[in-house]
Amino acid sequence: MKIIHMFWKQVKEGLADIFVVWRDEFSLVIHDAAILMLFLAAPLLYPVVYSLIYSHEVAREAKMVVVDQCNSPETREFRRMCDATPDIEVVGLCANMQEAQEALRRREAFGILVFPRDFSKALAHKEHAYVQLYSDMSSLLYYKCFLLNVTEVSLKMNKDIQVRDMSNATEREAEVSTTPIEYEDVAFFNPKSGFASFLIPGFLMLLIQQTLIIGICALAGSIYDKKMYHVLEPILRHRRGSFRIIFGKALCYMMFYGIMCAYLLWVIPWMFNLPRMGDPWNIVAFMLPYLAACIFFGMSISVFIKEKETAYVLIVASSLVFLFISGLSWPAASVPWYWKALSYFFPSTFGLQGFVKINTMGATIPDLRTECIGLIVQICVYFLLATLVYRYRVKKECA
Amino acid sequence: MVMVREWRTIFSRKVYIVAMVILPIFFLLFFLSLMRDGLPQDLPTAVVDMDQSSTSRRLVRQLDAFKQTRVVVHAKDFSEARKLMQKGTVYGIYYVPEGFEQELLSFKQPRVSFYTNNAFIVAGSMLFRDMKTISILGSAAVGRELRLAKGQTMEQAMIELQPIVVDTHPLGNPQLNYAVYLCNVLLPGLLSVMIVLLTVYAFGVEVKTMRSRKLLDAVDDDIISVLVGKLLPYTLTFMLMATLYDVVLYRYMGFPCNNGLPNMLLNSYLLVLASQALGVFLYSLVPIMSISLSLSAFITMLSFSISGFTFPVGEMPSLLQTWANVFPLRHYFLLYANNGLNGYPCYYVWSSYIAMLIYLFLPILLSRRLRNVYRTDTYKP
Repeated sequence: MKIIHMFWKQVKEGLADIFVVWRDEFSLVIHDAAILMLFLAAPLLYPVVYSLIYSHEVAREAKMVVVDQCNSPETREFRRMCDATPDIEVVGLCANMQEAQEALRRREAFGILVFPRDFSKALAHKEHAYVQLYSDMSSLLYYKCFLLNVTEVSLKMNKDIQVRDMSNATEREAEVSTTPIEYEDVAFFNPKSGFASFLIPGFLMLLIQQTLIIGICALAGSIYDKKMYHVLEPILRHRRGSFRIIFGKALCYMMFYGIMCAYLLWVIPWMFNLPRMGDPWNIVAFMLPYLAACIFFGMSISVFIKEKETAYVLIVASSLVFLFISGLSWPAASVPWYWKALSYFFPSTFGLQGFVKINTMGATIPDLRTECIGLIVQICVYFLLATLVYRYRVKKECA
Repeated sequence: MVMVREWRTIFSRKVYIVAMVILPIFFLLFFLSLMRDGLPQDLPTAVVDMDQSSTSRRLVRQLDAFKQTRVVVHAKDFSEARKLMQKGTVYGIYYVPEGFEQELLSFKQPRVSFYTNNAFIVAGSMLFRDMKTISILGSAAVGRELRLAKGQTMEQAMIELQPIVVDTHPLGNPQLNYAVYLCNVLLPGLLSVMIVLLTVYAFGVEVKTMRSRKLLDAVDDDIISVLVGKLLPYTLTFMLMATLYDVVLYRYMGFPCNNGLPNMLLNSYLLVLASQALGVFLYSLVPIMSISLSLSAFITMLSFSISGFTFPVGEMPSLLQTWANVFPLRHYFLLYANNGLNGYPCYYVWSSYIAMLIYLFLPILLSRRLRNVYRTDTYKP
């Protein structure tokens, strides 16, 4: 009986402590404009701007100029077919190469198509007829438009020429002879091959981690700076006091991001028509450990931040490292082993991969074993580290 | 005098050295080692060969021979391969149907299919290219055999198969090196992030430590000498870092630098100065350090996307196209593309040079405001 009573007392005291820590942290957050910018304004506005930037998803009508030194029915047809593709727009016909290069220098066009003088003569004499494609490489997307579509046009023309030369064959024979093997291509999960559909889901997860850890470090830094850690000293003296401190604070951040996540992961994809293959409960089940891992990670690294403002200076630029190391922008299979090993220390690695798989590829939690195990290990490790960090800081200040 | 004082501040705290030297060097090493191959190599692919004939096996072998494709799994059916793709083990599936060779030999036009995971667009589009090429080559190989059997020479057969040949010339970056495409803007961009943030910090910390009024008194209220004296140590250090970046990128890595190193150094130095000016401007505009740091963070991180080196500015909504011109990194990208990548004369980007110079006047515009802030000397957290 006495044991139960003791236990009950412990639980009550624990909850009371957590509540106190939670309340103090909450009041700290809502009275701090800079933290509110991180926890509310950034998640509200930033994804909108980003989604707008990529809202056209793909490059269309890449501008191209043509130098046609042959000007025969064949070259005219080639030109016309290029212009007819959705990805290329022929913006001008240049008299010579100098004129075309000038258009590239002025960024009025990004590609040049050159037909040599003997283009049609070569075709008539049954020799290879070469067409030259030059592309500005400051944008890989335009280059891809040119390459894919010009190749496609040349394949089509080659086929027509072969069929024409086989005047005695039936249509079916000609078809089989020119294309003995047919092929079809299917783009899974992102049929438009769109930039927003590819980048925004990962970007949202990164935004959550970065605003959280900068916010947490800024808060921890400002408490350290103002020498306010000692107010936690009474709680720390309770049994498992450091656990209570961490839980209380984490609860406060969790509350903000619970609401923000609903907006980020539900409203934003809906507003900008991004992939939404994920089952909502699976997303919730995945986001809880992700948020927890981010929060404890932030609390652990806050040990390096001795001042509110340095949190920004030291953490902001790391976002791009997290993005590239996570395997979204740069294929995970091509990340060198040492950076891959490092990437397992960051929640964003598992968060990005996991969320993209749920949201874009329709995976469910059982499909995400690696990601979930990774996050759970991170939660355990960073939770313990966080308790040590806060205990150390309180003790240091009281000493 | 102000400058000596600033050097002393810099050496008194670790954060300055970390932000000015250690992090920029880390970024340089990180991105160059990440993209050391230039292009992602050996992307994992699954093959579903339902035919298991010599023709289908040859096709698969040829696919595997591509540098960027690596067949890691021979799945027994499509659903197994699809599961692997969903797990992220493979980025592409190449499917050869049953009876492929039989149909091919009896002129029934068999159909192969390939699937790419475009949730990871870089890997997806690279595998797309390889798998499409192999399908076309497969067709061509059959056509060649048929023609050779008819007694044509190899050359005749090739010409008949492909009368028109497209010769592609990717200007300035013939290997389609991704490191060239990304690092040349990404790395200076990261340097610019550090510069803007550290500038805001350096100016804000005076008020925070309540030393700003004393500083103004010491220079007889001359805010310009405060500006110059405080900025110069950072200008010198960051210019040194920018030099290191350019030398590593254009000398050691040999990335395209067609107008010569001095031209790129000039561009980098302009970016350093413009970033500093932007930092001073933002702090003078919102003299609450943590808020102007938040603002700086949003603006500088946004500049990576809006500068248009990955997704072209011309494809953005028109309002954003206009706003893109406000970001220093946008102009740096145009300067680099013109002078470094393409080697065109500088006058084609005169407007970006003007823009870079305009940034330098921003701090002067708000210098009176900054003086008042320094005079009142109250820190708001």
